Amino acid sequence: MPAYKLNVNGKDATVTVPADMPLLWTLRDTLDLTGTKYGCGVGSCGSCTVLIDGGAVKSCLYTAAAAVGKKITTIEGLSEDASHPIQQAWIALNVPQCGYCQSGQIMTTAALLKTTPNPTDAQIDIAMEGVVCRCGTYARIRKAIHKAAELSKK
Amino acid sequence: MRRRDFIKLNSFISGGWVLAQLIPIKGFSAATTDCFQPSPLIKLCSDGKIVVYVMKQEMGQGVQTSLPMILAEELEASMNDIIVEAMPFDSKMGEAFDTGGSTSVIEAYLPLRKAGAAAREMLIAVAANEWGVSVQECRAEKSKVINSINNKEIAFKELIGKAASMPIPKDPILKNYKDFKIIGKGGQKKANIKQIVGGKMIYGIDLKLPGMLYAVIVRCPVLGGKVKSWNINSIASVEGIEKVFEMKEMGEQIDNRSGVAIVATNRWGALKAQRLLKVEWNINDNAAKVNSQSYAAKQLEKLKGRPDIIYNAKGNIVKDTITKNAGFISAIYKLPFIAHATMEPINCIAQFKGGKFELWGGFQSPSKLVAVGSKYFGINSSDIFINLMPMGGGFGRRLNADYGAEAMLVAKEVNKPVQLMYTREDDMRFDVYRPASTHRLSAKLGNNKLPELWQHDNVISPVGDFYMGMKGNPFWLSIEAGGGAYGDMYYDINGFRSTVTRTEPPVVVGWWRAVNFTYNNVVIECFIDELAKKAGKDGLTYRLDLLKKLKTVKIIDGSLYDPRRMEAVLKLAAEKIDWTKKRAAGRGVGIACCFYNHAKAYTAHAFEVSVDKSKKLTIHRAIVATDVGTIIDPDGFANQVEGGFVWGLSAVMKSEITIEKGAVEQSSFFDFEVSRMPDVPKLEIHTIQSNEDPGGAGETCVPSVIPGIMNAIAAATGVRARELPLKRLGYTF
Repeated sequence: MPAYKLNVNGKDATVTVPADMPLLWTLRDTLDLTGTKYGCGVGSCGSCTVLIDGGAVKSCLYTAAAAVGKKITTIEGLSEDASHPIQQAWIALNVPQCGYCQSGQIMTTAALLKTTPNPTDAQIDIAMEGVVCRCGTYARIRKAIHKAAELSKK
Repeated sequence: MRRRDFIKLNSFISGGWVLAQLIPIKGFSAATTDCFQPSPLIKLCSDGKIVVYVMKQEMGQGVQTSLPMILAEELEASMNDIIVEAMPFDSKMGEAFDTGGSTSVIEAYLPLRKAGAAAREMLIAVAANEWGVSVQECRAEKSKVINSINNKEIAFKELIGKAASMPIPKDPILKNYKDFKIIGKGGQKKANIKQIVGGKMIYGIDLKLPGMLYAVIVRCPVLGGKVKSWNINSIASVEGIEKVFEMKEMGEQIDNRSGVAIVATNRWGALKAQRLLKVEWNINDNAAKVNSQSYAAKQLEKLKGRPDIIYNAKGNIVKDTITKNAGFISAIYKLPFIAHATMEPINCIAQFKGGKFELWGGFQSPSKLVAVGSKYFGINSSDIFINLMPMGGGFGRRLNADYGAEAMLVAKEVNKPVQLMYTREDDMRFDVYRPASTHRLSAKLGNNKLPELWQHDNVISPVGDFYMGMKGNPFWLSIEAGGGAYGDMYYDINGFRSTVTRTEPPVVVGWWRAVNFTYNNVVIECFIDELAKKAGKDGLTYRLDLLKKLKTVKIIDGSLYDPRRMEAVLKLAAEKIDWTKKRAAGRGVGIACCFYNHAKAYTAHAFEVSVDKSKKLTIHRAIVATDVGTIIDPDGFANQVEGGFVWGLSAVMKSEITIEKGAVEQSSFFDFEVSRMPDVPKLEIHTIQSNEDPGGAGETCVPSVIPGIMNAIAAATGVRARELPLKRLGYTF
């Protein structure tokens, strides 16, 4: 199995994994970063979204090889203590129900706010359409994104 | 007989959580080393922390938030001191851990209040002794006892040593609701919210035990098909394959499908092998011919024959239907199979050691798993211990025992801890689906234009056939009978019949969030609107006319149905949507209501919609009015109401499972469509303030979403949709 030098949440890590294994499983099973969730494995639910060089990527459709030389950020890398403005906004609005999809929702939001610091509802809808929540927390997520945009300016 | 059956249902689905089981447990002592534990539900520690044990399973509905609030209220504890822990499983009290039917708060309300009040009285008694005053001169507040005469205070933690030797009061005095400081008050943060948003919440799927293996199953795509053979060479290239063996059908109430289990040392190897393994199946030719159209046609055909069972309004089995007479208006509705698609794919870790099983996973009905598992393996129920994990969604899917039982079988085969995972594709293709149904509603209007005769014929695969393993059992059939005694029909109609006719489904069916209400309530509330139109009345007036003379009645499960509360939510929803306002052409408003009997909840939804020439549906306004009695955690409740709305939206707009050549066609979220963010308009929530005992939240605000939207569409377009999802009729969103 080939070895890949990855940078995850600011730390270098060398992993030896099958070349065709999705980054999702490298993060979860090899690096024990289980905050990134498996939901479908085919890019249709967004639960596994992480940042690659700041952009939202579905880690089930990405490989370790493709991530070499790039910065990977997972939910665990957003902050140590849930203090990131997006996490704070999520807490303020009591967004989660079961919570399983929320890593994907939060990481997708992080990428959105990077390119669009003051998104409209329409921009939020487009950016977030790929992330499914079966509990139905969408309305709160929309509100929380506005709140996070506000908190990010402080 | 029927009453007893209901109790069985109640204890099976929701866990007969009786106080006697809990305060105190036989042989349970209040005195422990440095803690004071006056009930299994609560432990006060010397460091000031108060541990509350939650027996109900957390799956997003918020039991780990709401249940501790109830206990803290009576204990007069500060919420900051509360630590929430899941109660370790005990097979002797298995049913008390079961979670479903939106009944957790209903069941736990009194036991938790009494547990908190008993502890409070013991702590006050100790403090009163110390001060030499009467207990009436003391009160508790914010985890302290206060001397009302001189305002001296002692913290609970200073009192626990002596409190432990006090007798446990049998009938502690509960607080007056007017004095509530926690129940019904806002500002409560969801339990574990920091872990969730930090990615640190551990669900069953996230666990990794030392030396753990990974298992997946290749299943026969057609129900009833069996493994003929497999070609091991087809996975020769995959590294780490530990064992490949036949997964047997484990029988009634497990209802898993025949397949080939693959166990590997690594997950990716198992997943790759699952895709590569070539398996030959023995499939029944007829089963392989079934498709959605042929199944729907079969249900329609069955409507022509005599029903399997006929009930009157009281739920008694009778011989005759009433639709033979002339003058009936009737309509046929068709609803599809739907998957649960919990975001956390179904999984369970199991280990077999010394003749005993240890499991790790999320289960809504651990008692069922233990019951069927111990029977299958011929062991005692105490030989199965389940480490109950928080669930990434339940929605009724995790009531089933299939994945737990299969994980046990695999563990026994490999003698190592093993995680069995159903991939998303497995989950979509081999779920226990909400049954598809075909309904004929018939009514004859009297001189006042209200229905004087009503018959609801439902052709369906009853859930009880599978979940209870009770094929054709009249009680379980009665749940599928729309209306009457079971409570999902609540209008004043004199001549009433509901009938059920069974069809053998091409898939396994099961409980799905809001259960029978997601079909029976839907078609009843649509048909009421059809009758209103015939009568020349609007949907609100017609409903109120039908409720007007009805008095509070006791329904079959023993709960009371109060038509005044139903009228109140209907009127509130109508007022908020501005029911009588003239709308622009192309705009329509619709209303629908639901009495969710076993969760004591009254709900009305009202919508204003328009549909453009390309059949694009726009929901301009969405209103819900609810009365669920006392609400424990208002924000958590609102979250459930919002979630119920989205669940209903998925069902009305997009979600369906279809069958082709005997197999489910959908495999993931790109073909099994669910509501996504752009589909979801703002929901305006209006709640009736009430001091009645609490009702449930998780399911109660689902059903009337669906007919509410269908009625609004009919009002806007003049065209009545009688088939779901709307996508199938060409609507876009």
